[in-house]
Amino acid sequence: MTSLISRAGFRHLSKHPLQLFLALLGIALGVAVVISVDLASESAYRSFNQSVEEVSGKATHRIIGGSNGINEGLYTRLRVEEGITSIAPLIEAYGKAGKETLRLLGVDLFAESDFRSHLGRGATFDLKKFLTQSGTVLISPGTAERIAVKVGDSFPFRVGAKKRDLEIIGFIPGGTHPEAATEDLLIADISTAQELTGMEGKLAFIDMIIAPGKEGDVLLHKMTKALPESVKIVNAASRSRAMDDMTKAFRTNLKAMSFLALLVGAFLIYNTMTFSILQRRQLIGSLRILGVTKEALFKMVMTEAFIIALAGTVLGIVLGLFLGTALVKLVTRTINDLYFVLTIDDFIVSPLSLIKGAFVGIAASLLAAFVPAWEAAGISPVAAVKRSLVEGKAEAAAPGIALAGIFLILLAFGLLHMGGRSLSAGFAALFMIILGMIFFAPFLTAKGVRLLNLFPASLSRLHTRLAIRGIGAALSRTGIAIAVLMLALSTTVGVGVMIDSFRHSVKIWLESIVQADIYIRSPSFKSKNIVSALNPAFIEKLQHIKGIEGTSSSQWITLHSEEGMKEMHVTDIWEKDSPPFLIKEGEPDVWEQFFDNKAVVISEPFANVYGAKVGDKIELPTDYGPLPFSVAGIFYDYGSGPAAVLINRQLYNRHFKDRSVRSVGLYLEEEAKADNIMNEVRALVSSGEIIEMRKNGEIRERSLAIFDRTFTITGVLRLLAVIIAFIGVLSTMMALQMERAREMAILRATGFVPRQVAGIIISQTGFMGLMAGALAIPSGLVMAHMLIHVINERSFGWTMKTVISTPILFEAILLALTAALLAGIYPAWRISRALPVEAMREE
Amino acid sequence: MNTKAPLLSIKDITHNYQEGDKVRHVLKNLNLQVSRSESVALLGQSGSGKSTLLNLISGIDYPASGDISIDGISLTGLNEKERTLFRRKNIGFVYQFFNLIPTLTVEENLLLPLELNGIKGREAIEKGLVLLGRVGLEDRRGSFPDRLSGGEQQRLAIARALVHDPLLVLADEPTGNLDSERGKLILGLLDELVRASGKTMIIVTHSREVASTADRIVTMKDGAISHDKREGD
Repeated sequence: MTSLISRAGFRHLSKHPLQLFLALLGIALGVAVVISVDLASESAYRSFNQSVEEVSGKATHRIIGGSNGINEGLYTRLRVEEGITSIAPLIEAYGKAGKETLRLLGVDLFAESDFRSHLGRGATFDLKKFLTQSGTVLISPGTAERIAVKVGDSFPFRVGAKKRDLEIIGFIPGGTHPEAATEDLLIADISTAQELTGMEGKLAFIDMIIAPGKEGDVLLHKMTKALPESVKIVNAASRSRAMDDMTKAFRTNLKAMSFLALLVGAFLIYNTMTFSILQRRQLIGSLRILGVTKEALFKMVMTEAFIIALAGTVLGIVLGLFLGTALVKLVTRTINDLYFVLTIDDFIVSPLSLIKGAFVGIAASLLAAFVPAWEAAGISPVAAVKRSLVEGKAEAAAPGIALAGIFLILLAFGLLHMGGRSLSAGFAALFMIILGMIFFAPFLTAKGVRLLNLFPASLSRLHTRLAIRGIGAALSRTGIAIAVLMLALSTTVGVGVMIDSFRHSVKIWLESIVQADIYIRSPSFKSKNIVSALNPAFIEKLQHIKGIEGTSSSQWITLHSEEGMKEMHVTDIWEKDSPPFLIKEGEPDVWEQFFDNKAVVISEPFANVYGAKVGDKIELPTDYGPLPFSVAGIFYDYGSGPAAVLINRQLYNRHFKDRSVRSVGLYLEEEAKADNIMNEVRALVSSGEIIEMRKNGEIRERSLAIFDRTFTITGVLRLLAVIIAFIGVLSTMMALQMERAREMAILRATGFVPRQVAGIIISQTGFMGLMAGALAIPSGLVMAHMLIHVINERSFGWTMKTVISTPILFEAILLALTAALLAGIYPAWRISRALPVEAMREE
Repeated sequence: MNTKAPLLSIKDITHNYQEGDKVRHVLKNLNLQVSRSESVALLGQSGSGKSTLLNLISGIDYPASGDISIDGISLTGLNEKERTLFRRKNIGFVYQFFNLIPTLTVEENLLLPLELNGIKGREAIEKGLVLLGRVGLEDRRGSFPDRLSGGEQQRLAIARALVHDPLLVLADEPTGNLDSERGKLILGLLDELVRASGKTMIIVTHSREVASTADRIVTMKDGAISHDKREGD
């Protein structure tokens, strides 16, 4: 390609600065969304990995106890009698310092140096005090600053129901990942931690370093034999793997949303490039006549697209960094709400994320520009002078494009069928269906225009007819504009219906599990297995309060095994209570089997993750070794981790030594007043003991509030996709109307007043908005169906009923209409103000 | 190069357009030979097929049958890219609507054919300036085409058609968009420059007056040659 040709191309773009700016903005926003989501998700992932690494240290294996933890004697026995020195005891718990959640790590400093780097060298604290004085801790400088304490200060710290003052005697020395990994960490001597967590004489874990190879295998075998039944050895990597698996689906979903925004951005590029080609048909024709080859023209358009993409991507990276810092907060909050405690203070700007975002932005732009570039190269010098030929071609091509759309949709169904339960296949199918629906837009637009044209001329005003015919006459551009708007609105409808359906299911589910009038529990901090138990004497006293008809109890236990973590919901349901969970499928006598202690009930995600079915036997790690349990049913579950088992307390007591109760439900007599009962309960609480007490309505409300909060990030991404689409529609409408300046000037010359010309333009954009809105409803519902029944099921193992609320559909139409009308205002204002003679001369 | 052989030889060409279900025969077994340095006017009414013939000669369109050769090279034997490269080197165009590149300046428009043929830098600029001087636009070299009058635009188009020293100059209604006074001036300039450089020219027109400036007038009707009259016949 010669420099004069590229100069001719770029000058054309610079003559349309607004259009160029909107294209740049579209790409930039698309890239920004991809990069920010990636950076936020990456920051969360890295912080999580670093903190796991910091806690696990160099341990290769971990000894995990049963429901009552590990007896301290086991550690002594292994070290003294068995002579195994590469082991270190550990207690891990979460607690609260004011509003901040901190992680407490109880360690044996003498055993630590081989395991956790931060405790080995460079310690500047008073070692003697750390080892001999109870309640002394080390803290990271950042955390100390946040909770406003310094070395030598004491602060109140609460673990479960226990609260005591801790004294800071020094800072945690720098480890491999100094600040990020030790953020929110408190390190105490193991005895202090035992005292704080109520685990006197017990350990949470014993970390081990086992050298790879034969010698290590022999040692591992020897140890496995030496351990009691309730204790087992797991690979240290399995814990982080399990946590990683837990958040994988969430991160994948975020990425998919960001790609959706980029897809809308890519359409914008397609739009811009197609427009710039259409506007330059004559120029391209002239160049062809002068002897410029098809290849050179193709290169010219692709180079232009590349440079626009590059500029947009650079802008997108800058925007992405800003957006990322905001999104990282939302990601952290969602992970905290859904999975585990995580603090991300360091927003990690990974060069790989930036490269990925830049590559995706440029690749999407070039892909989007490929078709217009190909079209430019295919422009015949003869046809260059006639616009009607293009539009004729566009209308003729519309059924073919629609057929390609059907083919894509069929291919997507094939992929869904063949791809098993693969989430990637699910997303690929979703994107293919979205593209397929987009391919339908020009065809349906053409049909819609024809239908509207059937109205007798006497029944419609002239400027309405002109507006509608204008859509059909410029199908190659109006079709794309409608498709882009439809895509964004489908996302609004699809994601909106999905969230609504999900909320509806969660609401019903909450009603089924929250049946008692009042719930009492010891304060817990996300990690369900470290909640301190309620005092048995306190529980006993509850039974005697007047006005309480009955009680139930429940608690969550985490079971560790090589294949990951399972959650066990131990429940003791009051006889008058209806079954606590909605059953998705099960034996006819599922609850009889459950209450007769013959079987357990598993959650829907459990069934999906482990492929378990009703009637199967699942193996669970009990305190007496792994044992099989019959599955009587599968329940709907939106609250637990990826795998939960519901077990009757009597059956649990048979196989687990733990007798603690962590949550009690109170059922009140009809006349009893909840507030009075709550006051009586408070009077029973001993000093220093802390309980949390809530009415059922409050629990439901809080749960739904958390649900809504977890979808904030989805809402933000959805909004961004709509903004990008709006920019797309604005740029399309503007280019379209500016191009029609001469036609409008002729109308003005014929006697149309400025208001009438503006009316035609606004009517046309309004019609386009309405069409996009009308098309977005069916396509949005298809998207919702895919999100609910494919993506969510495959990501989280949740099934839910589709609930379509009319406001969401009206909202889509209103949004479409508003976007289109707003997009028409500027061209209408400009064209109606222009002198007809100037517009005609310009052409 | 055989200087006695005709520069352009058209043998039995036909060309059709599909219009819905119907096929419209635009050119019917047309034969024509044009000698070197000859100036030929293709005269005819709208729809007679003269512009189509011009498009086929330039290689921007392809005949349904028959052969067109220029300087011994058969255009029908060339693929699309080869025809483009042939056109780039050997053909100069002047159109009724000028077909200038609106985003290039006067000078850049003029230098474009040279650059496409690999002539750049000082050599190109010198060559361009000479021609700009001859068409009277040397003081407008930095202007964009939309700042020029119709006559000026057509003068630039004529200079651009000749700047790369083509074998054949094709002009499609070159005065059709100008008033008669300016038309005459442009026609005179085109005739003068083409004859001075010894080029062969085919000019398409529906005006007898314009056609009369050529050495030979070929009249077309319904896709065929109805008259072929040389000067002095």
